[in-house]
Amino acid sequence: MHELSLIQSLLDIIEDYAQKRHFKKVNTVKLSFGKLSSIEPKCLEFAFEAQSKETKAQGATLEFDILPIVIYCISCEKEMKVDAYTATCPQCKGEDVIMVGGAQELKIIELDVD
Amino acid sequence: MKVSVVKNVLDANDRIAMENRALFDKNKIYVINLMSSPGAGKTTLVERTIEALKDKYAIAVIEGDIQDTCDADRVAKLGIPVVQINTGGACHIDGNMVREALPAFNLEKLDLLLVENVGNLVCPAEFKIGENTKAMILSTPEGADKPAKYPRMFQESTVMIINKADLLPYVDFDMERARRDARATNRGINIFEVSCKTSSGLSDWFRWLEDQIESFKKLNP
Repeated sequence: MHELSLIQSLLDIIEDYAQKRHFKKVNTVKLSFGKLSSIEPKCLEFAFEAQSKETKAQGATLEFDILPIVIYCISCEKEMKVDAYTATCPQCKGEDVIMVGGAQELKIIELDVD
Repeated sequence: MKVSVVKNVLDANDRIAMENRALFDKNKIYVINLMSSPGAGKTTLVERTIEALKDKYAIAVIEGDIQDTCDADRVAKLGIPVVQINTGGACHIDGNMVREALPAFNLEKLDLLLVENVGNLVCPAEFKIGENTKAMILSTPEGADKPAKYPRMFQESTVMIINKADLLPYVDFDMERARRDARATNRGINIFEVSCKTSSGLSDWFRWLEDQIESFKKLNP
């Protein structure tokens, strides 16, 4: 359900930029978020389609840059991308790991507009 | 034409949260955003915390629920000012809901504001409200896999209270795993093992909270 709040905030930002930059139509909205940020692209798309009606963003395509889950292993002294979050290092199997990427919040990166 | 933006989508909420924070600082109010799954024991922890600290601090509570006022009624029985926010379907409290609730309190007189969020391990982690501390409760019947399943909640929280410790003999809860996985998302997380029913472990939580409030008061003389 948080997708509705996120999309409303996104549309407010787009409207704000439309006033400042004088564009009439949005073609593409580029977004980024971490894989573990509990954001579901399909839900975002659905909320966007429903809420963007009769705004400058109606009909625009959402593009997602989904940032990977990255853990840092203190024993191996390096960062590793992992498919699913786990508190175990895939290399040394040690448990002294820190999650350093993957939970980044939803950001709007770029708009393609006319 | 490309327009570069690079902005948090929740930027507007973050700004309202900062305004709330400024208001809390001005009135020297320490604010806790309390989050958990439904049924983990948020309201009971709020009640215990009020009972323990109400002689020392002026406390107020904001209760967030999708509907109903039963939590607010429980708190009101303790003689504490309470505002119920009914989110009407929204799965979290945001900065604006808290801002709208504040006029109901005499802010100048308050020391501690406990905000009980909507029961949910996902969305509340994303919405700042102007709190000093995000505290989350994980209860033992939920299972130790929650930090691995909902890492954002644990990464955002300064405090993890493991509640219903009295049920440990009856539930399969791997304490080591819960602690390890929570620490891996957040090295600095403060973990308290408690039972709100038997009161075990609660004194450590009260002491920690008092220390935080006192340090906060020193920083905002």
